Amino acid sequence: MPSSRRSRRARRPRLTIFLLVLASITIITLDYRGDARGAISGLRRVAHDAFAPVQSAVDDVVRPAGSFLGGALHAGAIEQQNTELRAENGLLRRQALQAGSDVQTLHALEQLESLPWAAAIPSDQSIPTIAGEVVAFNSSDFAATVQLDVGRNQGVDVGMPVVGGAGLIGSVIEAWSSGCTVRLVTDASSAVGVRYGQPGNYALLDGAGSGRSLVLEDVAPGTPMRRGEVLSTSGLEGALFPPGIPVAKVTSYSSTPSSVEESVSAQPVADMAGLQYVAVMEWEPSTTEPSP
Amino acid sequence: MRTPEPGPMTSPDIAKTSLVVFLALVVQYALLDNVRVDGAHPEIMFLLAAAAGYVGGSERGASVGFVIGLVSDLFLPTTFGLSALVCCVLAYTTGAATAGLVRSSRGIAVVVLTLAEATGLALFAVLAAVLGLTGALRDSLVPALVVTVPASVVLSLPILVLVRWAVPPALPPAATPPPAGLGR
Repeated sequence: MPSSRRSRRARRPRLTIFLLVLASITIITLDYRGDARGAISGLRRVAHDAFAPVQSAVDDVVRPAGSFLGGALHAGAIEQQNTELRAENGLLRRQALQAGSDVQTLHALEQLESLPWAAAIPSDQSIPTIAGEVVAFNSSDFAATVQLDVGRNQGVDVGMPVVGGAGLIGSVIEAWSSGCTVRLVTDASSAVGVRYGQPGNYALLDGAGSGRSLVLEDVAPGTPMRRGEVLSTSGLEGALFPPGIPVAKVTSYSSTPSSVEESVSAQPVADMAGLQYVAVMEWEPSTTEPSP
Repeated sequence: MRTPEPGPMTSPDIAKTSLVVFLALVVQYALLDNVRVDGAHPEIMFLLAAAAGYVGGSERGASVGFVIGLVSDLFLPTTFGLSALVCCVLAYTTGAATAGLVRSSRGIAVVVLTLAEATGLALFAVLAAVLGLTGALRDSLVPALVVTVPASVVLSLPILVLVRWAVPPALPPAATPPPAGLGR
């Protein structure tokens, strides 16, 4: 009798870990297949809503001290950066005017070519935006994300594109009452459809993790390419982003005789490490089928 | 040596453990997430799970670790349940592997918990890569380890103090009933 009780006792931890592993694998499978995504998103929203006041309170206490220390340590650099930013601001204003004219020209050309989806694409200049501040970076070492201080109460929803500084920074993957999580274009699971070079050149820009270069996929060997070339969102039918938003600049490209595609690296146009104020675009992907 | 397992946790134990998990969440998501080096930041949730296994033994550690992981998953953009799986396996393994260790040495505790943290990160990266997060192993693991391991050396002891306060310890080997016949 005592020996059978001991044997049961010995088996109990193994049974416990077996059941817990089984439960974990079941949850992972449900989330991975998307079967319980609604319930899981709901749980995450509730958790974020409950935790947001605490996070905000801690942030209010910690941020001034951090900013003061950071400012004291980098006062000279900040002054220099300020001067550079003023100069850059003037240049960007001129470029924005030029870009607006380019977008109009492109739309006119697309309509002239009778592309079925051209008329359905909104101009990104006219999309309303919600301004937000980055309050936290990467909640996981294995995902490039930021958290904003604007959420469903301000009109933010899952899937909305987010722009900051010079261009696209990512899209909203989770939204709760007072905040949202944005997956950055540098995240390893991010893929943005972009256009480059000649009209009709489309490719997929993949993220490779925080601080790493983006990788342009599906570029045929020998495709004319130049360093510094701006890759903008394609805005093709069903695309996740509106057309014409700058995403990255080409930093290097190469191909070997045996390669089936050009190896192209790019850097995001937005400064991902220095994000502070961003804008969430109130835009949803078009689901209409192109007319025959 | 098998970890001797005590009875179920009492309500005060559960309340204290919940408080420690909440405190760890605040420290992780309101403070440590903003300490970034090469895109990585210190991580204490795996450390907490490992400490639960170290203090509470393999069975209790696995249960507490599972809860810690699930709570973490609520705030992570990665697949839900991944941290729960890693935390419960990590706590169980730490509890089982250290069942015969002398617990009075702080140095051993720091080494064990830091090793467990590194193992947890590696396991998480492997599972994330299996689930399609291609850069987890290739790009993210090394920076995560470089930042997390030194931070674990510093944070192990404070976390161990908190976990010892909250999680009832596994019975010492001497307290287990002797096999039949030896006590006569």
